[in-house]
Amino acid sequence: MEQLIKKALIIDLAKKTFEVKSFSDLNKFVGGIGIGLKLFEIYKDSKPIVFSVGPLNGFFPFASKTSVVVSDDGVIEDLYVGGNLSSRIRYTGLDAIVLCNESDEKVTLDITNTTVVFKSADTDLNSLGLPGKRSLLNFSGKEFLVQNYFSTPESFLERNMESKKVIGISVTGTEILKPKNFPAYENLYYEILKKKNELRVEEGVYPSCANCPLGCGKSKVGEIGGNVLIHSLVACHFADKIYSDVGIVFSCLNVLGYDYTHEDLENLPKLIEDTLKNIS
Amino acid sequence: MAKVLKATAIEKCNGCELCVLEAQRQLEKVGLDAALIRVFTSKEDGREYPTFCIDIDPRINSIDIERIKSICPKFVFKIEEE
Repeated sequence: MEQLIKKALIIDLAKKTFEVKSFSDLNKFVGGIGIGLKLFEIYKDSKPIVFSVGPLNGFFPFASKTSVVVSDDGVIEDLYVGGNLSSRIRYTGLDAIVLCNESDEKVTLDITNTTVVFKSADTDLNSLGLPGKRSLLNFSGKEFLVQNYFSTPESFLERNMESKKVIGISVTGTEILKPKNFPAYENLYYEILKKKNELRVEEGVYPSCANCPLGCGKSKVGEIGGNVLIHSLVACHFADKIYSDVGIVFSCLNVLGYDYTHEDLENLPKLIEDTLKNIS
Repeated sequence: MAKVLKATAIEKCNGCELCVLEAQRQLEKVGLDAALIRVFTSKEDGREYPTFCIDIDPRINSIDIERIKSICPKFVFKIEEE
């Protein structure tokens, strides 16, 4: 299946160019923080911001976060933001979006699947993309917000976006994905959705991340650091009881057509640790 | 009489899109293209939270609308007879 080969959209802000690159050797990094760090290493000289999703995003409940890898004064930070961004990136058919170098003027990015249009600073972000199929990341004057609501902790993303002069991003995904075993996928989806009481948050009346029914108040500000398997998938860390269960994770990966082994998942923390050492 | 799906409590919608994805799954698809339900996000000045609006394609009534109604955690939908 094509979705098994990791694909990243590489955007050069200085040259205002972009290209889609396939990385079959990134499969062992699974997704999220795994491929985020590896792509950061590959594009290190361009001081990248790496947005990445995992194999379960867009498919399964509670796998609703987007991983963001940035450098802050030489320290690598991994952040996780909620909302609908992860599902839109997944439906572009991409695993990651990498922003390289710096723009010479303020810029807004209009991304539709694997195409980027560089827009001027006075562009109304709401005029970009396809409503209902897009996710908007905009600067509120204080924070970068997904859907005008979901943010990342600290100000690492804000400082990096400011230095690159990116003031807004629209991501529209229109790809249709086909799990390898659709009936099994569907059954597993409902089985996981029924586990909502296993999350470590209460049901609330707040905006919810895509594919999560809870509307908890805790996802407004995302996460920083934590469990590498959860963050490689990229699941919500409040759903760690569900997605720390290797049996469930393998079932999810299997119905989607991935052929990861136990050794692959066992080796993941070491791979990530080694990559982090290479970057630091 | 035909049964139709209506979003009668839209103010309760939390934007989770479970309804969108349920409708797509019934068509054996994962994704948003040609979705029979679309959820739009907007934010008015001065409001702390975004609000959501749901657009339902009439063709939705050709699939299992009971399942769409029941997957919504906020009881936004009603099935009415027309």
